[in-house]
Amino acid sequence: MDRPSSSAEHGVEARGVTRAFGTVPALRGMDITVPYGQVTALVGPNGAGKTTLLLILATLLAPDAGHIRVAGHDLRADPEAARVHLGWMPDVFGVYDQLTVDEYLAFFADAYRLPAAERPRRIRALLALVHLEEYLGQPVHVLSRGQKQRLGVARSLIHKPRVLLLDEPASGLDPRSRVELRDLLRSLAAEGVAVLVSSHVLGELEEMADRVVLVDHGRTVGEHRMGDLAGAARPRWRVRALDPGGLAAALDGRPEVGEVSELPGGCELGPLTEAQAAGLLADLVARKVPVVEFGPATGALESVYLAMTENRR
Amino acid sequence: MGARVRGARLVAVQEVRIRLRTGRWKALLAVWALLVNGLGLLFRLSLESGDHGDDDPQGVPMFGGVLLAVLALCLLITPALTGQSVNGDRERGTLAALQLTRLTPADIALGKLAAAWGTGLLVLALTLPCVLLPVLEGVITPGRAAATLAVTGLLIGVVCALSQAWSALVARSITSVLLSYLTVLALFGGTLLLFALAQPLTVEPRYYSSSSGTRYAYERERPELVWWLLAPNPVVVLADAAPRLPPHIETDGDVSTSSEPDNDPLGDLGRSVREMRAGNGNYHEGGPVWPYGLAFDLLLAGGAFWVTTRRLRTPVRRTAKGVRLA
Repeated sequence: MDRPSSSAEHGVEARGVTRAFGTVPALRGMDITVPYGQVTALVGPNGAGKTTLLLILATLLAPDAGHIRVAGHDLRADPEAARVHLGWMPDVFGVYDQLTVDEYLAFFADAYRLPAAERPRRIRALLALVHLEEYLGQPVHVLSRGQKQRLGVARSLIHKPRVLLLDEPASGLDPRSRVELRDLLRSLAAEGVAVLVSSHVLGELEEMADRVVLVDHGRTVGEHRMGDLAGAARPRWRVRALDPGGLAAALDGRPEVGEVSELPGGCELGPLTEAQAAGLLADLVARKVPVVEFGPATGALESVYLAMTENRR
Repeated sequence: MGARVRGARLVAVQEVRIRLRTGRWKALLAVWALLVNGLGLLFRLSLESGDHGDDDPQGVPMFGGVLLAVLALCLLITPALTGQSVNGDRERGTLAALQLTRLTPADIALGKLAAAWGTGLLVLALTLPCVLLPVLEGVITPGRAAATLAVTGLLIGVVCALSQAWSALVARSITSVLLSYLTVLALFGGTLLLFALAQPLTVEPRYYSSSSGTRYAYERERPELVWWLLAPNPVVVLADAAPRLPPHIETDGDVSTSSEPDNDPLGDLGRSVREMRAGNGNYHEGGPVWPYGLAFDLLLAGGAFWVTTRRLRTPVRRTAKGVRLA
């Protein structure tokens, strides 16, 4: 994989990106950084502008304003140069149903001007990567929705892009395929690719992303390292004890533990920070409450996301 | 330049492959070939049965009639071949991935146009048996056949380019196919209608004095001012571009008279538009009309191709309502 010729250290650097459709603003100033070798998650509610941003980063849509560099190339000045290093998979896309799986990939290999000698090997390697090797020579229309999604991933990787943009790649995938997609994106990041994924499935992003960019109403509202989120988040906590009555008694009359709601064999309480939760657990153990489970009820990403979307109401 | 040809060929091969694997192309083409050639032969038979001892060969009207019908039918089929080449791909969600490759907008437009035009030419080729029968009979020269077929092929290409531009301009494929048909209709009927409406506007009063000194006024139309309105009409272009048949020579004893050949639809049409170009009161033919018509049609096609290429450019600045980018 060739290294960027310029001094760019990030796959994507976008500052102050705006875009309106007619009079309706879709992006009101988005900033995003996607470093090489990491998976960055793009998270936000429906209509936050995720797909618009991805279309702009993919060089399909021109922004009204803003500075964007993809793989070291200014998108305004030279979108063609950026495209060579750019892999893109949209949320909904068509495949040529009339072609076979390998014809489909061969067509894109030619369209990206891959050397003909390299082509068969590249196609086999990609089909193995997305677990479709047994479909070599089969028509695309026999593939299931999830398999077509994986073929789309293979297509977006055909020219060995250094920057990979995926819009809701996990939608329509079964649990097994989701795990495989996660492993695939992790291994691409390990090879130095800058990966940007948008998704609604927050638990899954938590497992695969190194960084998260939170967007809402066309603006970037936060860029965090996934590791920092856990400390900053104030999730609700789920507590289970062998003696639920004793647990309830120990929590009674303590407003600092937040709203306590009954659960079978325990309760949910909070929101608490990790430090507050650790203090509470120590206290419960000291009071000889037989605690068998104590953990966040929601993932760190989900609680941040819920807090963000709650603020706007 | 090599890259352009390679890119366009890649797109064209892909389009043809997809077309061939979609639907029952072979059956459709076979039905088309049978229908056109069958009707052509039937036309010939009806000409023969109406033939009352005239020694004019019936291959001449057959050639003209069949060719005009083939032109009309091919131009009616063509919008269906091309009318959704760009927005159809957009609707299926396959265009954006193509635009992000190293194929340029011109590669994509040219490849798609070549595939559509090639299909149109194949449709034309299937009509050859009945078009070429008069040539085999020796009634029509190969030169006349080649010239008229070449013009027909070019006109098919013009309609392909126009339909493609509509498919690039309009979001929904049903709309672009409709607009393509209206464009063909405008070329055929619109030119005729405009000419028919414009000709009365050219009327000018004329006077002449009789020998007794009385002045008479009358009105005269001047088609030489508006003949060009007819020029883009595909029928006019084809008919006027057809090389003329040798004049009919009749010998009666020592006197031989030369007259225009009978029953030649192409020649008749060509002569009448050239007479319009010459204007009333001129008893000689005007200059050829078809170069103007063909040049206009080709310019239109060139403009349409430019529009298509422009609409395939990314990043897109202005988006129409309801157009999906990807």
